[in-house]
Amino acid sequence: MSRELVTIKGGKDGFRLLVDSSASMKEIEAEIKKKLDSNPGFFPEGTKFELEVADLDRSVKKGIDQLLSQHGFGVDNSPKQARRSISSQPASSNQNMQPESVVQEMMVLNRTIRGGEEITSQSSILICGNVNPGAQIIAGGSIDIRGTCRGMVHAGAWGDTNAVIIADRLMPTQVRIANMIARSPDTMEKSDFAERACIKDGQIIIEPIER
Amino acid sequence: MSEVIVVTSGKGGVGKSTTTANLGVGLAMRGQKVVLIDTDTGLRNLDLLLGLENRIMYDLVDVIEGRVEIKKALVRHKKFDNLQLLPTSQVKDKSAVNPADLMVLCDELRKEYDYVIIDCPAGIEQGFQTAIAGADTAIVVTMPEVSAVRDADKIIGELGRSEKDNIKLIINRIRPAMVESGEMMDMDDINDILAIKCIGQVPDDIKVVTSANRGEPVVGDNDSQAGRAYANIVGRLMGEDIPFMEFEKEGFFTKLKKAFGLKKNG
Ligand SMILES: Nc1ncnc2c1ncn2[C@@H]1O[C@H](COP(=O)(O)OP(=O)(O)OP(=O)(O)O)[C@@H](O)[C@H]1O
Ligand SMILES: [Mg+2]
Repeated sequence: MSRELVTIKGGKDGFRLLVDSSASMKEIEAEIKKKLDSNPGFFPEGTKFELEVADLDRSVKKGIDQLLSQHGFGVDNSPKQARRSISSQPASSNQNMQPESVVQEMMVLNRTIRGGEEITSQSSILICGNVNPGAQIIAGGSIDIRGTCRGMVHAGAWGDTNAVIIADRLMPTQVRIANMIARSPDTMEKSDFAERACIKDGQIIIEPIER
Repeated sequence: MSEVIVVTSGKGGVGKSTTTANLGVGLAMRGQKVVLIDTDTGLRNLDLLLGLENRIMYDLVDVIEGRVEIKKALVRHKKFDNLQLLPTSQVKDKSAVNPADLMVLCDELRKEYDYVIIDCPAGIEQGFQTAIAGADTAIVVTMPEVSAVRDADKIIGELGRSEKDNIKLIINRIRPAMVESGEMMDMDDINDILAIKCIGQVPDDIKVVTSANRGEPVVGDNDSQAGRAYANIVGRLMGEDIPFMEFEKEGFFTKLKKAFGLKKNG
């Protein structure tokens, strides 16, 4: 198994810590320790790492925080604006958009997302499983659910109005795209076909799709 | 090979203690060596459900704090020698028991018994964490109503985070007529949301209550639908492949659907 559980990436605006969300805290801890100890002195004291994770347990986040501070480092928790626009560029700044040139990233989760869970990613999110009532999915890009969506979904959370939400059965409590909110009707019909929510003419609309 | 099972739910009052008592007696009837551990001091304790209240000498806290040996604290069932209860303390500070204690206790009991079944308190606080600590298997009990299913969903997530991956579902207090009329959630919806293996569907049955009042769990009673449902769960726990039973008092629609083969074996 040569899966990288933890990756540290340097960028022009600091270091990013990428963590595989399927790893346990123990594994993560061991990996981070190994990484930090193998390059002593490489990271200046007080370096703040930006956590590039989504599906991380609060307890794991806390664990990483503690671990880093033990080493004299920290986690950068400052809320970030859409630093990298992933699924599209803001329409105003770029009229002839070239999707090929945009880096596409996607977070994939192959499981049920249960009530009380919160999944956040700056990229798009693909979930192969149900999103249950009381769960929240927040993506910088689009959200695709291969299952039933009964939770709260927010696509384009950092302002991308071109983001969409697709589900095999879309029956969420709330749909949000960019800064718009649509609430589900109080009595929810069971939908039998895949649907897509997107912004059209300044409104969130939900339309059936084939797939 | 022995199995340590915790019976849990999230929401209170959905039938954890009733389930624990029935599975305990049911497994004992099938000749298994069973010990039940009550970790919840609620209104209806296991000792009451089993008719053993007047035989309690010591309790879980006494054992954990080393005042007595486990053997001395176990209360033997009146009818079944192979069924024992480790009662909860009614008065002592329950926070005296922590997850590590229960793990040690379960491993000790595992050596002697085929099944160790733990009745868990409602909620996801300390008591829950303690109760699940030593378990191999978790049984989540829920009812066909929105709030109970939501809590069950949260509990399943919580169990997963505690690395308890062997989780089974029992849906209790089903009223077929209400499910039929859409006033209660139907089994398919519950199974779709919770997405764990369902090992029991128990109807709402007045005999559960009357038999509990007598201190004799309903599981032996073949005249009771709930009694048969519990007996089926016991069989499934022991690895038998038993189809879910159809409930009586079906509405016209179920029969119609069944006639056309539209309804799965409920
Ligand atoms: N299948 C059933 N049919 C009818 N009544 C039932 C059934 N299952 C449980 N009950 C009744 O529901 C009530 C609650 O059951 P029980 O005490 O087992 O729940 P619990 O989950 O252990 O509650 P607590 O969270 O307080 O510990 C009891 O009065 C019990 O008799
Ligand atoms: Mg109880």
